[in-house]
Amino acid sequence: MSYLDTPRLHFTGHFQADVSTINNEVTFYDISTFTPDDQQLTTDGTKGGWNPEGTGIFRLVGCRVTGARLGNRQITTFAEDPVIGMALENADDRVFGKLVDLDPEQQAVSQIWGMRLRLTDGKDNDLFAGDFRPAAFINLWRRQQRAAFLDQTLAAVYQSVLQGMIWEGHVDSAVLDALRRASADDCLSICMNVYGYGRDPKIPRYTLGSVAGTIGPYFAGEPKHFVLGRQLVSATPLNPTVPLGGVYSFQCKVSEDQKTISADFGNCLQIKDASGAFDQNTSPPLMLAVAKQEGSNPLSSVAAGDVAILGNVNYLNDGWYAQTGGVQDFDYSADPWLVANIGARPLLLLTPLAADNSSYAVLVSETLAGWYARADDFVARLEPGATATFDIYATRYGKPVATAVNFFSNLTQMGGGPDIGTPTDAITYPPQLQTDGHGKAVLSVVASAAGPGIPRIYIDGQLYGIGYQPAAQPAQAFTNPWNFISILAFSRVDAPDQPTWHANVQPILQQYGNLYPIMSKHLIDLGNYDSVVKHLKILRLAFSLPVEDANYMPVIRDLSAGKRAIILKWLDNPLKGEPSPARAALVPTKPAGVEVDLEPMQRRSKTEALMKAAARRREERK
Amino acid sequence: MIKLQRRVVDAIEKAKDPTELYPWLQSAIELEHSTIPPYLTAMFSLKPGTNDHIAQLIRSIVVQEMLHMTIAGNILVAIGGSPSINTPSFVPQYPGPLPLSIGGSGFVVGIEPFSKPLVQNVFMTIEEPEHPIPVITLAVAEQVPDFATIGDFYAALKKKLKEFPDSIYGHVDRQVLQWFAPSLLFPITNRESAGHAIDIIVDQGEGTSTDPFQTPGDPAHYYKFGEIFYGRTIVKTAGGFAYAGDPVPFDPAGVYPMRPNPKIHYFEPGTPARIKIEQFSYAYSSLLNALHVAFNGQPAQINRAIGLMYELKMIAVSLMQTPLGDGSNMTAGPSFEYIDAVQAAVA
Repeated sequence: MSYLDTPRLHFTGHFQADVSTINNEVTFYDISTFTPDDQQLTTDGTKGGWNPEGTGIFRLVGCRVTGARLGNRQITTFAEDPVIGMALENADDRVFGKLVDLDPEQQAVSQIWGMRLRLTDGKDNDLFAGDFRPAAFINLWRRQQRAAFLDQTLAAVYQSVLQGMIWEGHVDSAVLDALRRASADDCLSICMNVYGYGRDPKIPRYTLGSVAGTIGPYFAGEPKHFVLGRQLVSATPLNPTVPLGGVYSFQCKVSEDQKTISADFGNCLQIKDASGAFDQNTSPPLMLAVAKQEGSNPLSSVAAGDVAILGNVNYLNDGWYAQTGGVQDFDYSADPWLVANIGARPLLLLTPLAADNSSYAVLVSETLAGWYARADDFVARLEPGATATFDIYATRYGKPVATAVNFFSNLTQMGGGPDIGTPTDAITYPPQLQTDGHGKAVLSVVASAAGPGIPRIYIDGQLYGIGYQPAAQPAQAFTNPWNFISILAFSRVDAPDQPTWHANVQPILQQYGNLYPIMSKHLIDLGNYDSVVKHLKILRLAFSLPVEDANYMPVIRDLSAGKRAIILKWLDNPLKGEPSPARAALVPTKPAGVEVDLEPMQRRSKTEALMKAAARRREERK
Repeated sequence: MIKLQRRVVDAIEKAKDPTELYPWLQSAIELEHSTIPPYLTAMFSLKPGTNDHIAQLIRSIVVQEMLHMTIAGNILVAIGGSPSINTPSFVPQYPGPLPLSIGGSGFVVGIEPFSKPLVQNVFMTIEEPEHPIPVITLAVAEQVPDFATIGDFYAALKKKLKEFPDSIYGHVDRQVLQWFAPSLLFPITNRESAGHAIDIIVDQGEGTSTDPFQTPGDPAHYYKFGEIFYGRTIVKTAGGFAYAGDPVPFDPAGVYPMRPNPKIHYFEPGTPARIKIEQFSYAYSSLLNALHVAFNGQPAQINRAIGLMYELKMIAVSLMQTPLGDGSNMTAGPSFEYIDAVQAAVA
């Protein structure tokens, strides 16, 4: 079960992602060259970028339930069910959640940490509340076609579970009753499509974007961050954010009992601007279909006789997106061929090529021969000597399959600053695993006890990427460029018997003070001994919290356990020590970042990081 | 001298059962909380890097008000009561009177940026001791016998608590005991500890009757505000005390030009000021919720409240840099409204 099953709720509204932008520039991690001027707000791509005093807060803003589905019934009004209009709010007894990049050289897996969501009708009790399991977005693509100044035109989707569910309030809602009955393991499945993010400090949308999402049942043992179902993967040969067919990858789920297929179009269809509206003039008619033959190559067009049409995508209907979150159900019970064959033939998203519908362009197709593999979690921070495990699922036409899955280094979507992925032996993992009868294998990635050293000089640790795919997947298949595992392997550091401010602590905290002036200017000046020793108690709490806690420090979650141990040890006996005059001379020449030509709107952003990564790859090929 | 109605003290004196003190200890919690939003707002309005001395003085007062609120909460918990913190009525209407109508009907406290008149007319009035020690430049306050003082209120509570047996105290595991030194925040287990705790509230707020300093080097609240207002630290002189020590400089340019007494509904939905003021109120409401949970059986949850206090400051800083958008030079500021959900972000 997942948000693609029923019952489900659909919600729309906004989100705030008050991210700090100084840490988007890799060279700003170097405390030996950083200046206060680097904290200046600018909108021309220089200095601290468009939000240097960002708090890291991620929160939903004004989200309301705008649709629901119970069985085969779509619900859109309060009269049909009182869940419509309820607020999906943040926790009301702790700080807001936080949005966290893995690394300045991997900004394409931004994770939400410490967010708790609750459904409220404004009365005494919450209808439900649960913790959003930390998750990174996926399927980052240029969904928004027209941009106001500094608009982030990339959109993406978060899928996770709300866990530790509490159901409290009492309201006569058939949808909520059914959702509670259908959910096991105290969890709900949640999907959030995020788009239309504003970065211009002069507009009301500054640090705000739009969200449309779906909440449905979740069953224990299932993947938490994708649907074990049918996977349509777009062709992105030139740029991972630009699909050839204009429609991005999406997932579906077939219910053979109900003879319906539920497709999630929430993040795959172009929008004209930040409002999220579909362009009625340029948006083509779309239909979901099943190819009659399996085929050995990706299809670009099909004749009408070669497909069975499941139905039109209703995305141009008034209110469709808000009422459905982009999820549409197709009933195929009336077509015996589909009933017999939908489980073994590829799904296609089509648009007519000819007015008489005699042929269609294939905009997106299911993975070739139905092969698909996916790591459920795909981001990890790894301590020296530690092991990170990843649940790997292999499917064919959405059904779990016992098969071989290959693993290999994949740094394609990361980098842009100092070299990444080196030394290669700092992490190890098997080149191949066999999935079991449930289609599942567990990948263990082991960091060497020595760690990667400090190959990037002024940033802790090293980035690694692990690609994966079914061994049986044909070479010509389109693959999702975001299906890889991102790992930040921390550098090994041992705590001295008696750490001192100058020798051990200031070099760590100064970097945070530089990168997060909201903290250093207004709460605790982390580079300043006197300021820090005035706040020993609160710092000890913040540095001792579990990583899931919204108050965890540092917000960015890039502090290794080794460095944390040094800080905690020092907080117990905060000796100042003496500045080491030799230290400056020991700082090696820093590796330069890659230079790329950028428009101002592209700077200090995910686009800059992606373009630098691409430039780095080009240099490597020379 | 701030005054409250004599009937409050009379009612405390007439109490025959510890449960009859519950509403008055609840009032004490509300009273101690009620000064925090105005003081915090004044402190938040000081730009970092300027007016730091003033900010430190106000911060030290706010922290002690938080201690007093905690002590009052613990006493109520100790004698079997349940503090109620997570309701809209817990928060005073700003601008308006403080709980227990202290200061009389004409005394109005608002949410305003820092200014010296605010310190003198409001903050020093709130904190004025029953018998201020003459400090040069200060006149002796007039006394009105029909009214009681906050000192009388706490003295009555202390006296009444002494009349009840030690057996009414308990629930140490439900008391909030973190974040302050054990000499200031300790379990309330008997008449003696309750009385000592109340002395701390009164001494920190008012000083003692003979000394403006609550502890050496640390003046009581009234005199700290005096230092801010007169621009000099208080020192002992041959003839008594004087605001004649080190300068406490004030740079009027170092204050965000916040519009006084902002409320959520003053701002159009979809404007940056509206979005942020709702965010602040939401986080403030979360703080009250977290405190309520901490004082109702889960004291470890006080750490969540501590985290919220830091987050509130970050949001407030952002608010005070957000123009009103009405063509004036003024900025938005915090509103201490208790809310359950925020409205749509974009109109």
